[in-house]
Amino acid sequence: MKNFRHTIVLLSVLLICSGTLFGKNLDLSTVPDRDQVQLTIYNSEDLTLVRETRVVSFKKGMNPLQFSWANTLIDPTSVELEFRDKAGQLQVLDTTFPHDKPQMLYWNVQSDSNTEARIEISYFTSGISWAGDYVVIANPGETGLRMEGFVRVSNRSGEPYENAQVRLVVGKINLVEKIAELARMPVAKVKKMEKREYKQLRHKAARRAMAPAAMDAVAGMVMEESAVPKQVEKEGLGEYFLYTIEGRESIPNGWSKRLRSFDAAKVPVEVVYRYRRQEYGNSLVRLYLLRNDDKSGLGSTPIPNGKVQVFRQNDSNGLSYLATRSIKYVPIGDRIELNLGKDPEVVFELIKEKVFRDNIWVRIKKGRVYKKVGDGSFIVDHKGTVAGWDEHQKFNQRIRNYTDQSIRVEVRRGYPGDVTFRSCLDAKSHDYRSVEFSAEVAAGGRADLRHEVITRNGYNAKQQRVKVVGG
Amino acid sequence: MNIKHVLLLLLLAIPLEGWARIKLITLPVRERVEIQLDHASATLVEEERIVPLVRGINQVDFSWANTRIDSDSILFRMLPAVSEAEVDAKVLSVSYPPNENALVWSVGADRSGSARVRISYLLGGLDKSFHYRAVASKDETSLRLSQFLRLKNYSNESYDQGQLWVGFGDRLQRPVGLNETKDMLLKQYAEVQIQKRYTVDVSKYGYIQEAKKKLKVPMHYVLKNDAANGLGQAALPFGKARIFQQDGKGGTTFVGEDWGHFTPRDDEMQLYLGVARDIVVKRTIERRERKKISGNLYNYDVVVKYEVENFKDKPVTLDIQEQLPRLRAELGFNNRRDVQWRLGGETTLPGSPDAEKSDADKLLFHVGLEARKGADKAKKQTYRLHLVLQNEWR
Repeated sequence: MKNFRHTIVLLSVLLICSGTLFGKNLDLSTVPDRDQVQLTIYNSEDLTLVRETRVVSFKKGMNPLQFSWANTLIDPTSVELEFRDKAGQLQVLDTTFPHDKPQMLYWNVQSDSNTEARIEISYFTSGISWAGDYVVIANPGETGLRMEGFVRVSNRSGEPYENAQVRLVVGKINLVEKIAELARMPVAKVKKMEKREYKQLRHKAARRAMAPAAMDAVAGMVMEESAVPKQVEKEGLGEYFLYTIEGRESIPNGWSKRLRSFDAAKVPVEVVYRYRRQEYGNSLVRLYLLRNDDKSGLGSTPIPNGKVQVFRQNDSNGLSYLATRSIKYVPIGDRIELNLGKDPEVVFELIKEKVFRDNIWVRIKKGRVYKKVGDGSFIVDHKGTVAGWDEHQKFNQRIRNYTDQSIRVEVRRGYPGDVTFRSCLDAKSHDYRSVEFSAEVAAGGRADLRHEVITRNGYNAKQQRVKVVGG
Repeated sequence: MNIKHVLLLLLLAIPLEGWARIKLITLPVRERVEIQLDHASATLVEEERIVPLVRGINQVDFSWANTRIDSDSILFRMLPAVSEAEVDAKVLSVSYPPNENALVWSVGADRSGSARVRISYLLGGLDKSFHYRAVASKDETSLRLSQFLRLKNYSNESYDQGQLWVGFGDRLQRPVGLNETKDMLLKQYAEVQIQKRYTVDVSKYGYIQEAKKKLKVPMHYVLKNDAANGLGQAALPFGKARIFQQDGKGGTTFVGEDWGHFTPRDDEMQLYLGVARDIVVKRTIERRERKKISGNLYNYDVVVKYEVENFKDKPVTLDIQEQLPRLRAELGFNNRRDVQWRLGGETTLPGSPDAEKSDADKLLFHVGLEARKGADKAKKQTYRLHLVLQNEWR
């Protein structure tokens, strides 16, 4: 560790008088090296669990250990010491946070013999984060695509981590307070405001989840830089998913590192055009639809939130840029939807062809008597007012396809009020107030999707729903 | 070339902590550059380079000081080997140093040799627009349309030989210099049939003399973007059109300019040339009669009269357009309901409304106007549009 910011120091017994550590001006200390480091990074919170092991020599009797973390973002309340071996011979008698040195603590360790033991120090830090991002390249015919997933780990914690095993947690951890805020407070204050629930929750969420940590698997591993891309192992862990990057990584403070987490070369893709005002705005958009499943060469893990860059291959190895989109967590088997925006080669027009009103009812003398206009029984009443009517609007949803491929267009429109949607289209209700219909439009072709929207107004309105009828 | 972004190959296996210390580097040059302008709002640059690699892990450094490269968009793709000399290599990881516009790719190679790579990125400040130059024939029946691409390069990066692609037409091979604005001819259409269109629409164009109810008569050149008219190969992008007319003596005269709107295939691009002063159209609402149905429910019997004089010595076609919600508002009542209407029997406008361009809210008639004969007074032609606005109430 070159530029270490936090250290563990074994204070020499020569300078310790009756177990009192403080008030001395002279210190003699030894600095045991870090043996192994494991980082478990949560992307839902600014939170990383660090577990580091060191080999420390203990003499029989009392052994003071000092742990300090100046200029880092460690949560002081989270620091814990455990003995990985010889646990029966070693015991932490007390932990002291000196009042004048906020980013430091002392442990007094009682040893039954002169021995050497591996200790594990674990703590939470903020400032280390990871994020997923994806690159999608469709083939020229847009029948399939290649999807590569990446994870990018950024270290702004103030501490460089070398040869660390990196594990990434996909899922949302429940935290009652942000660790970064805690780290910037004096220990005493943190202690005072600490709540039992806070500790329980965080420990439950993070430490217990990490209990099966495979630190020992890394121990003694000979790291040889390999000229093939590292694998990212994925495993389920309760409500979370854990990505473990093969081997070890060094991430200096301030740096970010991006590694490939998966590469699916032949993902089947469906190209669909959709009009859904609520989801995509007031225009017809083009979408790539794919699935996070085995058939796609994906499906081994959920796909975490991240930015997706979408390209299409053209001839001569070149790319066309299509869009940059964000995707939300995609469970295994679920659909991935990439909105590519408007296609200038597809014209989408809604033409209002005709309007008429019928079934008009007039209210007589502001009373409760209603008469239908034109039913023959009506006596002209000069004070009658129109109280209800049906409005018929005949629309043509025209789609012109100037692309060189047949396209599928799906239209969903919402209609407020008491509405009947009448057409010869294969229309169906999406919900109580919106209707869906679709069409295949041949390359260079045109579709005229005619339909009538009948809205019952005023006295005639009896429902709040759209009824779909044929004809 | 004032290189602002560079690709470096760090020849030694330098750990990242050794960054910005002693380096031995090679500078692989650009073999080919493609500038993809086919996206509506983003410019994608692709550079092909041949990178020498040694067996094992190589650090390839890419930095872009003072340019507006979108760092998240940078892609590094190994192209398939085409010869024995080229090695098959793989990107292992990418590292991003703090506070620098740079990144380092770790590339693993199974043997020493060179690899062809494509680096692509979205570049800000390299923007495109389109414009047109149209030269109409003296008789104004056709025009020569030239379509230009204008590239403004304020990206702080230059490209010696960039291949430009706008998504249609030919690929252009041009150098793109720093802070340059470049106009490039994309396509020329020699004989585009045009229609000279005179239109009246009180809602859209208003009056030229409101007190006398005289309507403004704008004149447009109309180009239909289809094969029959010499176009139709792609949508025409938005852009300014400068219009000239041949003077019959070998020269041309500038007659105006207008914004040409985005025009899909089979649609019309209208270029406004000005107001025609020698076609006079007076529009009056000749009749407004309310017919009670019952209670407060009425039909309105309306006749709109157009008195048209063509002072030109040529016959022309006048488009008479009525926006029905506006007509209803003119009658003194307005509401948010759609207008229910039918054509009345007293309509004298010729033919029937244009079926393609008329709809529930708009009516369009094409009216042929006779030419003025010699020095005679122009013949006043009177047309009536009889409409029944049905089922209206306040």
